[in-house]
Formats: sequence, C-alpha cells, structure tokens
Amino acid sequence: MGAKTKTKAAVRRGLRRRRALGALFAGVALGALLLGLLVLLVLIATTALQSTQLVAMRATADAGLSLSLRTLQLGPRGGGTAGFFPYVTVARVAPGSPAEALGLRRGDALLRVGEVPVERVSDVWRAIAALPSGVERASIAWVPGRRGLLGSLRAVPVPDRPGEFRVVLSKVAPGSAAERAGLQPGDVLVEAGGLPITGTQQAWQALVVAARTQGGKVPLTIEREGERLTAVLDVERRGELPFQRSLLRAYGAFLTSLNEPRYPEHAGLASAFLGSLYVILVTALVAFPLGIGAAVYLEEYARRGVLTEILQILIANLAGVPSVIYGIIGLEILARSLGLGRSILAGGITLALLVLPIMIIAAREALRTVPPSVREAAYGVGATRWQVIRHHVLPYALPGIFTGMILALSRALGEAAPLLLLGAFLYVSYVPQSLWDSFTVIPLQIFDWATKPQEGFAEVAAASIVVLLVLLLLLNGTAIWLRNRYQKRWS
Amino acid sequence: MTRPRSEGSRTATSPPPSASLRAPRGRGLKEQLIRGLFLLCGLSAVAITLLTAWTFVQGSLLFFREVSPAEFLGSIRWAPLTVPQSYGVLALIADTLVITGIALLVALPLGILSAVFLSEYASERARRLLKPVLEVLAGVPTVVYGFFALRFVTPLLQGTVLPDLGFWNGLSAGIVMGFMILPLVASLSEDVLYAVPRSLREGAYALGATKFEVIWKVVLPAGFSGIGAAFILAMSRAIGETMIVALAAGRTPAWPPDPTEPMMTLTTTIVNIATGDHEATAFIWSALFAIGLLLFVTTLVLNIASYFIVKRYRERYE
Repeated sequence: MGAKTKTKAAVRRGLRRRRALGALFAGVALGALLLGLLVLLVLIATTALQSTQLVAMRATADAGLSLSLRTLQLGPRGGGTAGFFPYVTVARVAPGSPAEALGLRRGDALLRVGEVPVERVSDVWRAIAALPSGVERASIAWVPGRRGLLGSLRAVPVPDRPGEFRVVLSKVAPGSAAERAGLQPGDVLVEAGGLPITGTQQAWQALVVAARTQGGKVPLTIEREGERLTAVLDVERRGELPFQRSLLRAYGAFLTSLNEPRYPEHAGLASAFLGSLYVILVTALVAFPLGIGAAVYLEEYARRGVLTEILQILIANLAGVPSVIYGIIGLEILARSLGLGRSILAGGITLALLVLPIMIIAAREALRTVPPSVREAAYGVGATRWQVIRHHVLPYALPGIFTGMILALSRALGEAAPLLLLGAFLYVSYVPQSLWDSFTVIPLQIFDWATKPQEGFAEVAAASIVVLLVLLLLLNGTAIWLRNRYQKRWS
Repeated sequence: MTRPRSEGSRTATSPPPSASLRAPRGRGLKEQLIRGLFLLCGLSAVAITLLTAWTFVQGSLLFFREVSPAEFLGSIRWAPLTVPQSYGVLALIADTLVITGIALLVALPLGILSAVFLSEYASERARRLLKPVLEVLAGVPTVVYGFFALRFVTPLLQGTVLPDLGFWNGLSAGIVMGFMILPLVASLSEDVLYAVPRSLREGAYALGATKFEVIWKVVLPAGFSGIGAAFILAMSRAIGETMIVALAAGRTPAWPPDPTEPMMTLTTTIVNIATGDHEATAFIWSALFAIGLLLFVTTLVLNIASYFIVKRYRERYE
C-alpha cells in the first residue's frame, strides 16, 4: 500500500518535472524568436534615430552655413595646458543667405548655439535639434576670423633659438577687437587666456578656445617694448539665425540635391536615387522577359529529361551564388569585353543576371497555381499550345508573376556588392542622363557615407537607409496588394 | 511535341488534342518557333553558368601560370602589392571561416528554436503574424546590416563587454551576419519540421511522451537532415556575404584569426582588388578570378549539396 502511493507520487513528480522542462523549452524557443524580432526593431529604431539629425543638418545648410571641425593642438613644449581642443569653423557661407546677412564669414569660429557651447560640428546640430519645437531661431555666438579679429600677424624667428617664433601684430584691422582693446602694430602676442601663443594661426585658435572655455572677454598677454602688458579682448560676436526644422523639407532637400563630398549638411541623394531607378528599370526590362520565358518553357514545354533536370538544378543553385560573383562577371564580360564600361546599362544587366534565377523560380510557382483543368478546357476546344499559354495560362498567372518580379526587383534595389565591383562610382555629382553614363545607387552611397570618418556622414547614411527601406516597403507593399487583389483562388 | 507524357501529375501539359487533328502547317511552324524562343530563355541560365565558369577558369589559368596552387592554398601571406609579392589565401580562408562560424553560432540555435516555436507551439494566428516579420528581416539589404554592425553593434560591444575591440573587427560582422541568415535557417527548418508526418508525433504521444519529448526526441531527429541542409545553405550564404564584412570587418587579414581584430574575408579581398587603383592589365586582376573561382565552387557545391539533401528528404515523406 505504502509502496504503491510512493510510486504514484514519484510518477507525478516525474511528470511535473517533464512538464516543467517542456515549458522551459517553449519559453526558450519563444525567446529565440523574439530576439530576432528585437534585433530588427533595434536596427530600425537606431537607424531612424540617427537619421533625425538630418533635419538639424539641413537647417544649418538652409541658414547658409557649411561647418567643419578643426583642432588646436597644444604640445607639452608650451608648458601648462597640453592636449587637443576641437572647435567648429565656418567653412563656407552661401551668398545671399541669412548667415551672410548676419556678418558671418568664412574662417569664423562658432562658440555657442542657443547658449550651448559647441566643440564639434555634431554639437551644433544637436543644439539645433534640442531647440523647443516651434522655435525657428536660435542665438549664436562666434569669433571672427583671424584678420577680422586682429589684423595681420607675422612670425618672427627668435634669435639664438632655432625653430621658435614670436608672433608679432604687424597691422591692426580697423574696427576689430584688437583695435578696441588698444593693441598697436609691433606688439608681440605671448599668451591668450593662459594658452601660450606659438604661431600666427595658433594665436587666433588660442583666442577661440579661451573664449569658449572662459567667456567672451579673453585676457591677452602682450609684450610691448620689452614690457609685459595684459589687454582684454572682446572677441565674441552675437546674433540670431533662422533654423527651420521640418522633416519634410529636410528630406525634400536631401532627395533633390547633389552629392557633396566635404559637408554632410549639404549632401544629397539625387544622383543615387535616380541611378537606382534607372538601373532597376534596365534590370526589369532584361530579366522580366527572360524570366517569364524560361519559366514558361520549364512549366509548359519541357519534357522530363536530363536537360530539364540540369536546368532546374542550375536555376535553383544560381540563386544562391554570392552576389560578388556576379560583380566579377559584370566587370569582366559586360564592362570590359563587351565595352559597356561602368555604365547604367552594364549595372542593370549585371543585376538582371543576379535576379534572373529568383524571377524564374517565382514565375514557375505562379504558373503552377493555374489548375490543369484550365489548360485541358482550352485544348478541348482546339487551341494550340501557344494559344493556351497566351490566352489562358499567362493571364491567370500574371498577377502572381508580377508579385514575384517585384520581390526580385526589391532584392536588386538593395544590392550593393556587384555594383561596387563593377565600379559604379561612389562619388557622382551629376544626374545620369543616358544609359551610358556612370552612376551610383543608394546602397553604394550608404556604403560610401558609412565609411567616411567625418562627423555627420553616418547620420546622412542613416537617412539614406530610411529612404531605401521606405522604397523597399513600398515595393513589397505593392507586391502584397497585387497578390491579394488579383490572385484567383482555385478550389 | 506530340508524344504523350507518362507522368500523371503533369496532365496540365499533356499533348494538345488539336495536334492529332492536324493543324495547318504555318501554325505548326509558328508553334515550333515560339517553343524555341522559350527554350532559349530557359537556356539563359545555362549560358550564365557557362559564361561564369569560362570567365573564372580562363582568368584563373593566367593566375596559376605565375603562382603555384600550392602557394595559393598553402601560404598565409596575402601581399599582392608589396615586394616580394605573395598570394597565399590561407589567412583569408581562416578569417572567412571564423566569421562564418560566429554567424552560424548565432543563426543556428536562434533559427532552429524559432522554427520549433513557429511550427510546434504558435497558434495559426501567431504564425501568420510572426512569419512576415522574419521575412522582413530577410529583406533588409545587407549594406544596412553592415551599417548596423559598424555603427551600433561594435560601439555597443566596446561600451559593455569588450572595451579593447577594434573599430573594425570580425566579431560584430559575424554576429550581425548571424541575424541576417537567421530567417533563412528559421524558414527552411520550419518547412522541414512542418513536414514531419503526424503519425510519428501521434505514435510518440500514445507512448505517453510530453510535448517537449515529442519535439526533442521525435520531431527534431526526424527533421535532422533537413536542418542539416539549412545549415549548409546558411554557411554558403555567410561565406559569400560581402557588404557586412566590407563595412564592419576591415581590410587587413588577421593571422592567427582573432575576431576582435580587423579581418579580411575572401569577399572583401575581391572588393579590395576590384576597387583598387590598378592598371587594367595588372597581374593582380587575375587573382580576382582565382579567388572568385574558389568562392564560386565552394558556394555552388554547398548549395547543390543542400539542394539534394532537401530533395531526398521531401521524397522520403511524400
């Protein structure tokens, strides 16, 4: 009796353990699936987040500014502070822009945007992005360029000390901060805000860095006739610039402007966008007829035999050949042997070779969904094989074929490797006009921008990814819509 | 064209009755022409393969006239641009395999478990909801994955577990590649698991097995060869992947293959040669074909192997 209940309990315990193990396994399996989805979400979210900086970048471009990063490097030789001090300079001011009207010039250094100190170019964009919504202007503070701030400087070698220079003010610019502080020609600049002055450009840089860290009024130590004096320079100028932040405007400008290799705020996707469009068009025109033709042959004509078997194996496995391989073929056969060069035509045909197996497989599946009874009925009233295909099989299968084609084209749209090999240019600053023009496509532009070390290009790459994903979504959406709308259900 | 076919399953294309009624001559010619046209389209696949093979073999012959196959496959030094030149791909192969291995370590467990969940646990509604998400994951262009690896995964790893990780490294490229091939593994394995006949499961249930035991001891072993095919195909995909490694793994071969260092795979080498600033007649171009041939043959063999495994497997249960 006792022994029997014991075994019963043991069995129950065992069953409970087995069930718990099962539940654990189910949980792990669900976790695996969710992890995949999580990565997809993180991918999309981080990219989208990064791409939002495009709005602020475009706002600075609209205000007329091109910015770049410079660094003041202080060696240990100068004594005191050593290290790197990054600062932002105005690399270009668009003529007729608000920035020009405000008095900003090429070579000026930005100190603050909306009261936020800026060290790097991305700080400027971050500050603009952080403005309260609805606010379309921000105060900025800047230091005029060397000539506007001081005048002319000259480096004079120090006697008996080779390699060392004294920086001498040779001319004071009228109306400059130097004039207002009472500097005179012949003054030797020694120290700015505690930073030693060792060169003409470096003197101005030291003033900029000191102004940013210590405020607008920088004490400047000078030597006049052997005597050390301190003058206080009011280096900072202030004003307000309009920064229009609008997602639509930003993407509109991004899609319609040409590429810009140096300033990411001006970078545009127009060449790549049109390049992608033309290449895909060529791909579709080449692969579509070939794909349908091959599928019709295999489904409607081919007898079962060695040739058909080989064809099937080839098609199934060509779809899995790495895309770089097609790039080599495109480069060697299309671009070189056939003399198509690095043109849109060569790119389109290369991608057509790549997606052809996918198209054939998709078209065959679509043809297979047409039930035999349709064909038999047509044969029954005396139609030839071609008439059956032309009037009965193809019309029914076409929506399915189209769906497959669109999915194959969306694969081609995202493909970068074969075109990278073919030598599509990474930097194209014109809109392609003919099939023989060299070109670039969106994925390649992403590749190029993603590898650029300058600040801001990663964000521009993220914005292009958003454009690419939206295009792919539209294509896939069309395919799904087509499938649901037109696909006949055979019961 | 008029010979009847024996297979019952393909009645759709059985001979048209009109043929026996003697169609007018012109019509027959037109039919033959159209058939020929379609055959030509079908042969385009053969043409592409032959063209590829011919291109690669011809280019490789030039290469192997100068460099012995023993040096190509036996040396670890890949230095085509420095004197003395050396064309050993062993380090490149090792780097490729390490990154592929990392990708498979991510993709196989996650993919198979996802497949188990979808085919065994998920309700029909959940399946319909979750499967398209996996397809979206498969549809993301690889250059986007590369960007993700370079700009998100590498900084993430640097900031958390591996502070010494290089800006370019094989590790994050491999991990992200794993997620890229995960949908492939999941969808192939799911097909396989779904195809395991009900009778096998029911037999196991009748013996008192729990659901987990049925999956673990019956369904998964029954689907083993199909999952093997998924493994092979995933491997082939990982070996041939280009953009992720070109963006995130760097352009320097690592020997010994350490995934925290920059790595150079076979595909990146191809990109390097093709985008490099070389004379069109330079010898280095022929190395492109030798490496291309290696890659082409490897992936084609893997693909065909998995094709036949899947085919045999299907026949067994049909």
